[in-house]
Amino acid sequence: MTGHNASLFNAATAKLAIRTAGLCKDYGTLRAVDTLDLEVPEGQFFGLLGPNGSGKTTTIHMLTTLARPTSGQATVAGHDVRREGVAVRREIGLVFQDSALDRTLTVAENLRFAGLLRNLPTAVIRQRSDELLDLFRLRDRRDKPVATLSGGMRRALDMARGVLHRPRLLFLDEPTLGLDVPSRRGIWRFIERLRREEGITVFLTTHYLEEAEACDQVAFLAKGKIIGRGAPKALVQSLGTYMLEIESEQLETVIASLSRRLGPCLHDGEKASFRIQEEHFDFMDLQAELGNRVQSVRWRRPNLNDVFLWVNDPTLSASVVA
Amino acid sequence: MMWRPVWGIIEREMVRMIRQRGRLVSAAARPLIWLIVIGSGFNAMLGNLGPQGYHHFLVPGLLGMVMLFGAMLVSLTVVYDKEFGVMRLLIVAPLPHYWIVVAKVISGAVVAVVQAGAFTLLMAICGYVGSEVSLVLLVLGLVATALACASLGIVIAVWSSTLDNFAVVMNFVIFPVFFLSGALYPVQKLPDFLKLVAAMNPFTYGVDVLKHALLGSAAPLLGTDFGVGLDLTVLLGFTVLATVVACWRFSHESAAGLLQFLRS
Repeated sequence: MTGHNASLFNAATAKLAIRTAGLCKDYGTLRAVDTLDLEVPEGQFFGLLGPNGSGKTTTIHMLTTLARPTSGQATVAGHDVRREGVAVRREIGLVFQDSALDRTLTVAENLRFAGLLRNLPTAVIRQRSDELLDLFRLRDRRDKPVATLSGGMRRALDMARGVLHRPRLLFLDEPTLGLDVPSRRGIWRFIERLRREEGITVFLTTHYLEEAEACDQVAFLAKGKIIGRGAPKALVQSLGTYMLEIESEQLETVIASLSRRLGPCLHDGEKASFRIQEEHFDFMDLQAELGNRVQSVRWRRPNLNDVFLWVNDPTLSASVVA
Repeated sequence: MMWRPVWGIIEREMVRMIRQRGRLVSAAARPLIWLIVIGSGFNAMLGNLGPQGYHHFLVPGLLGMVMLFGAMLVSLTVVYDKEFGVMRLLIVAPLPHYWIVVAKVISGAVVAVVQAGAFTLLMAICGYVGSEVSLVLLVLGLVATALACASLGIVIAVWSSTLDNFAVVMNFVIFPVFFLSGALYPVQKLPDFLKLVAAMNPFTYGVDVLKHALLGSAAPLLGTDFGVGLDLTVLLGFTVLATVVACWRFSHESAAGLLQFLRS
């Protein structure tokens, strides 16, 4: 790339916290991330969603300079991840999928260590540590070794450490993996508060799709490729007003008779699910029509999980309006 | 500008050194056992060596041993950090990766000097450090030897991906390095082949400079082998070379290699 083009690319990315173009990462013969194009504006809550092994963590590793892209471009906070690694790392906070705490150190010492690595003065580290420990209700554990903390507490400490230096951009790799419901809620409340008070950009990966409904924008990743993207609400609405789930032993015949009226369906084994587009669909009528050919008929509002399942199915993805 | 992150890494090693009691106890017990068992055995065998016995000759070598083990245990944390994920925290810190290596070398040297300093005091109390000690040379020798041991440990550590791996290599390195130096016997008295090997071993020069500092010219029979200038030059030269090699390897391989390791 010539100097002129480079400056144009940088000018275009000024308002973008993250921008990637044709980003790829190979591990041997495996293409973990395949020509990824992303644009995340500053201040956005962005969710990269997909099953385990879809390339989410590899993407985060490339954006945080932990892994070198095989090809393509990526800028984070206006800096090239390949050439300006230190500048990128200065702007970001990162919470890893599995805890990276030093178990021999205490809670406060872990925060102090992270703060010193970030070049913060010790007085600032002490003050912010106290604030964060209060917020996560870890104040009374301040001088206890990390080894004595529960899983939820460790995650909270990971989170506190990730934001200790007040990054403009926070990467969260599966932040709620393996946590109980109260700990999860605590983490989401904290992210919400950070966004409200500090206006930071949050880049989240998760395979708990229902957690991503608070995102401004999501992208679905499968086998390293983006297979769909948009605002969660719009994506869910575009799928339909209801999802109709039918269980039957004669599933093929039921599908054949219904798909004329309702369009294609997603089916696995003994269950088929159809999209209902009408707001006032007559389910009683449908139930009467199906009679005793079915074991169960259920309908409910669609969610992001449904969107993922539909866009991830090659025979159905064309029928979903992106 | 990098002093805070570097201090952070050193401080962590100091805290760990103090907190792991077993490590401190074994750091002191190992050379004491050598002094009592090997020292007394050789002393009896060699007979009259003049006013200073074999024990006096052995003390510089044991100081070297304290530092060799102390520094190795710190470089072990490079591998430990890889296994327990703390290394990821270090490599996402906003500093060029070679600073991590430099900071680990300094931490290893600091821990080694602290332990060796404490052992010197203990030896002085026991009467094995005489009045001929040169304090300036002792401090210089301790620092230079500690740096050489730490950088040797780090070179091994950046090439080891697992703790088991490192433990194996450590056994193959520590003992030859210790035995093939002047720690137990004067290099000049060795057969030619072993003399050559000892001359290529940087640890030999560390032990030698400590002999200069502790024994002075009082023990002509079991004395020093090289000049102080050569000793310090070799130690510092080796430190720079090993650190540069470790930095190069770490900057190029750490991120990629570590992640591949985490994926497996």
